Amino acid sequence: MPNNNFIERSILETLSFFRESVFADEYAARDGFLQRRNARQKTIASLLLLTGVLFARNLYLLSAIYIFVLGLAVLSRINLWFFLKRTWIFIPLFSLFIALPALFSFFSPGEPVLILPIGQIKLVMTKPGLMAAGFFVARVVTSVSITVLLALTTRHNELLKGLRVLRVPQMFVMILGMCYRYIYLFAEVVENTYLAIKSRVGGHVRQRAGRKIVAWSIASLWQRSYALNTQVYNAMLSRGYRGEPKVLEEESK
Amino acid sequence: MHIPDGYLGPATCGFFYAVMLPIWALASKIVKKTLKAKQVPLLAIGSAFSFVIMMFNVPIPGGSTGHAVGGVLVAILLGPWAATIAITVALVVQALLFGDGGITAIGANCFNMAFVLPFVGYYVYRLISAGSTVGSSRRVVAAGIGAYLGINMAALCAGIEFGLQPLFHHTAIGQALYCPYGLNVAVPAMLGGHLLVFGWVEVLVTALVVKYLQKQSPELLQSQEAAQ
Repeated sequence: MPNNNFIERSILETLSFFRESVFADEYAARDGFLQRRNARQKTIASLLLLTGVLFARNLYLLSAIYIFVLGLAVLSRINLWFFLKRTWIFIPLFSLFIALPALFSFFSPGEPVLILPIGQIKLVMTKPGLMAAGFFVARVVTSVSITVLLALTTRHNELLKGLRVLRVPQMFVMILGMCYRYIYLFAEVVENTYLAIKSRVGGHVRQRAGRKIVAWSIASLWQRSYALNTQVYNAMLSRGYRGEPKVLEEESK
Repeated sequence: MHIPDGYLGPATCGFFYAVMLPIWALASKIVKKTLKAKQVPLLAIGSAFSFVIMMFNVPIPGGSTGHAVGGVLVAILLGPWAATIAITVALVVQALLFGDGGITAIGANCFNMAFVLPFVGYYVYRLISAGSTVGSSRRVVAAGIGAYLGINMAALCAGIEFGLQPLFHHTAIGQALYCPYGLNVAVPAMLGGHLLVFGWVEVLVTALVVKYLQKQSPELLQSQEAAQ
């Protein structure tokens, strides 16, 4: 059986990763309500909202926050359909799926709402079950929406720098920023690696061979990364790095 | 295994942030001491590396594909403390910029994947490979076993964290407010998949990468051991 779907899948995944990033950049560049706010304010506001969602014990409050976030997305000129798709797929849908058994009496005993007879067995949907599943999914989707909205309306490097307001040590912020840059480089390496595999093996790779190829590609990526390290360090030295990271921007703000 | 927001209650989230703070501080201190100045960019590169390992799809029996998490591999290559920092950075980038894993759950996610996973895996690897030469096949086996135990330990932790939610957070009538399943459901659900499928993907990738590096650049397997 031809088994090259791991090749296709990897290529598609890296491509969708780049596509998402381009979309995110495009949204962050629009002139909308949240795009005009500064990254630090947005980070703090998002954290406050997330904490609110975390502590909320009222389904109306959770729904109100969710609608508020959707409103902010519209005000920030984000296509609502795109936003809903982006936030519901995959985590909330998955959560909805795993919350399904909790609807019924064997996990959530209580006042029955609906009885589904399936053959000899009667599945009893209960009120506490509905509430538990509702809380769970509402909390998950609202939290994901807040995070995605922040990431969509803020340039990523500004968002990472904004972490300094939370007293994240400068060293961590520097590593975060550098890591972010290398992700794109490495994702491109992954894409090229799989394209190269595809062009060499065509439509058929045995599973065993496939696993070897992938593991070797990972190992060779690490070899390249290690070599890259020396170059990056020399580049840092040449720009004046002396053991402590220094940043030029934002001093005037 | 990335726990999203909404699965864990405030007490659990706060608890794991509190647990991770001293671990992060200690990790920074130890890494500053052991890592040469020249290797500072390596932490960032290591984070990016652990981020993209998940993009490498591996064929698994049954015609499907899976991907490795790579935490134990990163620990073998960088040492466990540097791995803690590198994986934490990768998890923060994933949560903040790509919505993968919750922000309130960063403490818990880091505890499972940036602390338990690399430490268990790394020390199992060191224990089994103790006294072996860098090219010995015992190291390959050690890497595989370390990877398997590391990821399953992390999955067990996640399962316990989920399973405790209905006990900690519920309304007066016992209705769950966060993850709705108790330990008897959450632990087997988390552990089952990892013991049977994901753990083996981790074994294959970690062992094969170590085997490749033994042949191609054995010095990369020794670089962090020498530093300790």
